[in-house]
Amino acid sequence: MKPTRAVEPWILAPLERFVTESAARLTLVMTPSGQVLAQHGFTRAVDVMSAAALGAGIVASTGEIATMLKEPGFQALNHQGRRHGIFLAGFESPRGRLLALVVYGTDSSVGLVQLFFEELIAEIGEVTPVMPAPKAVLAADFEADLNQSLATLFQ
Amino acid sequence: MSLVNFTTREITCKIVYYGPGRSGKTTNLQYVYGRVPDDRRGRMVSLATHTDRTLFFDFLPIDLGTISGFKTRFQLYTVPGQVYYNATRKLVLQGADGVVFVGDSQARQLDENIASLQNLQANLLEQGIDVRTVPLVLQYNKQDLPRDLILTMEELDEQLNFRDAPSVPAAAVSGEGVFETLKAISAGVLRKLSEEPPR
Repeated sequence: MKPTRAVEPWILAPLERFVTESAARLTLVMTPSGQVLAQHGFTRAVDVMSAAALGAGIVASTGEIATMLKEPGFQALNHQGRRHGIFLAGFESPRGRLLALVVYGTDSSVGLVQLFFEELIAEIGEVTPVMPAPKAVLAADFEADLNQSLATLFQ
Repeated sequence: MSLVNFTTREITCKIVYYGPGRSGKTTNLQYVYGRVPDDRRGRMVSLATHTDRTLFFDFLPIDLGTISGFKTRFQLYTVPGQVYYNATRKLVLQGADGVVFVGDSQARQLDENIASLQNLQANLLEQGIDVRTVPLVLQYNKQDLPRDLILTMEELDEQLNFRDAPSVPAAAVSGEGVFETLKAISAGVLRKLSEEPPR
């Protein structure tokens, strides 16, 4: 798997620049419900999903606490460990609210991540295309494939 | 909401296991986790209390393989069942593509099942989703308990299944009905995706 990949191709270049400049080890850009739009540094898709689910959960729960406190919202959250730090933030984009989870090591810092994160938000804002018209996804006869897949899943 | 990547031909869908406390939602995921090959599943994440009650959610990503040319992944979540945790329940429900309602078949738990189903309806409505349109499967768990303690499938359908959704008898602790439930909700979610393009 490539170190940086994106579901939405227009995020790829801004994300690659961000990880280069900030020296982030892992980065996820996702929707508030934890669906990943772009990623850097993860090797297994399923690990990406776990990290995204946990990140989205943290943002959602702190957002609810902000609502209870009648705060407009908390912008970012940072935890500093001995070898790694995590930076978690929400931001507005032309496609609606998005979240980013950034893991950085001792070769970077929260200040550096924050600095280039602002640039990432601005770049995403500039390159986001207009939402394309939705198109059909699955063939009507998907059920044979589904049955086969599930049969191999539960052997 | 499901995420579809037309470039890499990947689909990711979110399925939430809902239901009253101790109905067997986490047990469903644990069984799936135990049966699915390592290379087809991720780590099961459980945010639980020290007494193993779900505090926020359990999460299990599984890789269904290729369906209609799309690499398909499902994210399985459970919500905390206890009434107290409604705030976190609402958060987990956000963006769900399908819901499995895990009911407790014990006769004495009927009121809890009804309350949880009403709570599901209210929480979906708060997100602008009509419970009649979201793919739903009802699983009646603990059907392995003595007959005199539980309600029959017909009685449970009569009380809970107002939508005439697929319903599955189960004993999640031994795995009975777990696979059938996952199959039914997967089909429901993918059917909806094939009929209505993602927004």
